[in-house]
Amino acid sequence: MDRTVLVVDDHAAFRAAARRLLELDGLRVVGEAADGATAIELVPALAPDIVLLDVGLPDVSGFDVADRLAGGTAAVVFISSRAPGDLGRRMRSSGALGFIPKDELTGEGVLRLWNASA
Amino acid sequence: MTALGAVVAAGLALGVVAYRVQVDELGRYTSPENAMAIVAVAWAFLLAGLVAWRRRPGNRLGPLMTLAAFALLLRQLRYSHDPWTFTSFFVLSEVSYALVAHSVLAYPGGRVTDRLERAFLAVGYTATLAFPLAILLVYDGSRQLRFFDPVARESAIVLVADGDFAIALQKAFVVLVWGVLASIFIGLLVRRLVRATPLGRRLLAPLLLAAVAVALRAVFEGVFTFVERPSIVLYTYLFWWQIVGFIALPLTLLLGLLRARLARAGVGDLVLELENAPPRRVREALARALHDPTLEVAFWLSAEGRFVDADGGPVTLPEDGARRAVTRLDHDGVPVAALLHDPALAQEPRLVEAAGAAARLALENARLHAETRAQLATVKESRARIVAAADDERRRIERDLHDGAQQRLVALALQLRSAQRELHPDGDVERLLDESVRELQAAVEELRELARGVHPAILTEEGLASALESLAHRTPLEVDLDVAEERLPPPVEATAYFVVCEALANVVKHAHATKASVRARRLNGLLRIEVADDGVGGAHAEPGSGLSGLSDRVEALGGRLIVVSGTGAGTRVVGEIPCAS
Repeated sequence: MDRTVLVVDDHAAFRAAARRLLELDGLRVVGEAADGATAIELVPALAPDIVLLDVGLPDVSGFDVADRLAGGTAAVVFISSRAPGDLGRRMRSSGALGFIPKDELTGEGVLRLWNASA
Repeated sequence: MTALGAVVAAGLALGVVAYRVQVDELGRYTSPENAMAIVAVAWAFLLAGLVAWRRRPGNRLGPLMTLAAFALLLRQLRYSHDPWTFTSFFVLSEVSYALVAHSVLAYPGGRVTDRLERAFLAVGYTATLAFPLAILLVYDGSRQLRFFDPVARESAIVLVADGDFAIALQKAFVVLVWGVLASIFIGLLVRRLVRATPLGRRLLAPLLLAAVAVALRAVFEGVFTFVERPSIVLYTYLFWWQIVGFIALPLTLLLGLLRARLARAGVGDLVLELENAPPRRVREALARALHDPTLEVAFWLSAEGRFVDADGGPVTLPEDGARRAVTRLDHDGVPVAALLHDPALAQEPRLVEAAGAAARLALENARLHAETRAQLATVKESRARIVAAADDERRRIERDLHDGAQQRLVALALQLRSAQRELHPDGDVERLLDESVRELQAAVEELRELARGVHPAILTEEGLASALESLAHRTPLEVDLDVAEERLPPPVEATAYFVVCEALANVVKHAHATKASVRARRLNGLLRIEVADDGVGGAHAEPGSGLSGLSDRVEALGGRLIVVSGTGAGTRVVGEIPCAS
């Protein structure tokens, strides 16, 4: 069964490009959210396997969204156009599956993190 | 001068007449001492009134007290056996007490400005005129007006003769004026004392004490109305109490005037005292000379058109009011300074001006000092503002790079990769796309570096410790970190970060070091940053170098940057930035 993904990022162009690429790589993008509040609303409704979560959201920090989702069924993969070293300590202390720089995003990369945790 | 002489002569002559009328007309009911004492009270008022009038021609207190003196003397003419003389002066006799109360309430400025006090005087003048007039209209001499006169007399203007009603009016008058109004008067004086500033209280206290003594005696008089006949001993005692209080009243006013004279002598000492005084002492010396410990000095900055204190801090001059008064000091029409002082001093404008003139040189000196300090403070503030503005700008550029160009390139990379997926493998187009993606990733990485150099986002988000950790991680060298976990003001964090950044870059480029250490600790309001290495040394902050630019930045925040670097002994860059907790 195809893994389902929710893409959370405030840049529409990135969301569109990510949706296309992930679907070509065999994942099913079930929804998109442009900010943290929408993401927190959509996760219970859509019940995705994976939440692709941008660290720098316009309303709340991606880390805060991850804290809210912790304990649920959806696994979090952080994305950012910044380098992991520039993201500080909350990245390391979060319960996320891992981190992928936005420009290196591929379906395989996401699935690799998913499988490593399973 | 002749006018003054005439008034004095009239006062003295009238005193003799008043004395004679009382002694001759009252006979066994009075004594020469009593008659003399009353004249002495009036003369004390005359003396104080005339001195006040001469010293303060603009102050209405002098005329008021002189008028009270004459009223007190004329009052005695009501003892005349001639009905018309009795009638005329009986009508006016009690107004003299209203004039005395008016004088007290008009002290020291000469005007009664308080609404309550004005209302009190209006009632007082009306009652002291209306009651005697009403009594005269019904008083036929059949009964004795005990509180006004030991002898019964005839009114010349009786309309309806009614002895009982005259006695009732007398009782009402004594209760209302001597009892109630005198009590209110005491209340007003106590209210004044409570409300006065410390200096004002010192000036008012003796006068008000004397006035209260006089008024208290009047209140007792009101109470005795209901006693059939007070003992002669008590009555004599009360009489002399009143006389002493009454003489003390105008004398305490004179004392107030003499105080100002003595203070003026103190101004002379100011000139000597201030000759070599440092600017800060000018205020103290003026406060001492004017007996006002609350005195403040504000200096005029002509270039900026505002007042500042001795340290150059801004000062807003208060409105003249109940708590504070302002005297501006000019020199050749140009403002030099302003004295903010107790309003009680406003009664002595010439004294304050004399003190200001005596202190003029020292004030001018202190003004220049304050001006320099104010300019220095302005420069310091603007320097810190420039640094803060530059930091804001860098943060904005970093955000723009991150949200703009970087996002577009990222999206483009993903689109290219999608296109790649749609193609058959191993074609030329796929290889081309592969290269494009790699090229784009390199561009993204370069942009990332650039944005980080402009302003690291992690510094804003997590603070200095986290940002330095990330920096140490990227540095191709072993870096030993010891940085306190706490958030500091943004300009301090940014400056400290860039100091470490530049110092570590220099270590990597020039020092041939094997390791470096970074320490940042806040102690006694200073953030101390130290970057040390074990390299070849010989570094220094040359003008135009990265470190010298940072040194300017650190100094703009009131700190300093030192580079210690002996040949072969490694390099230590130490920065200290003021940083309140």
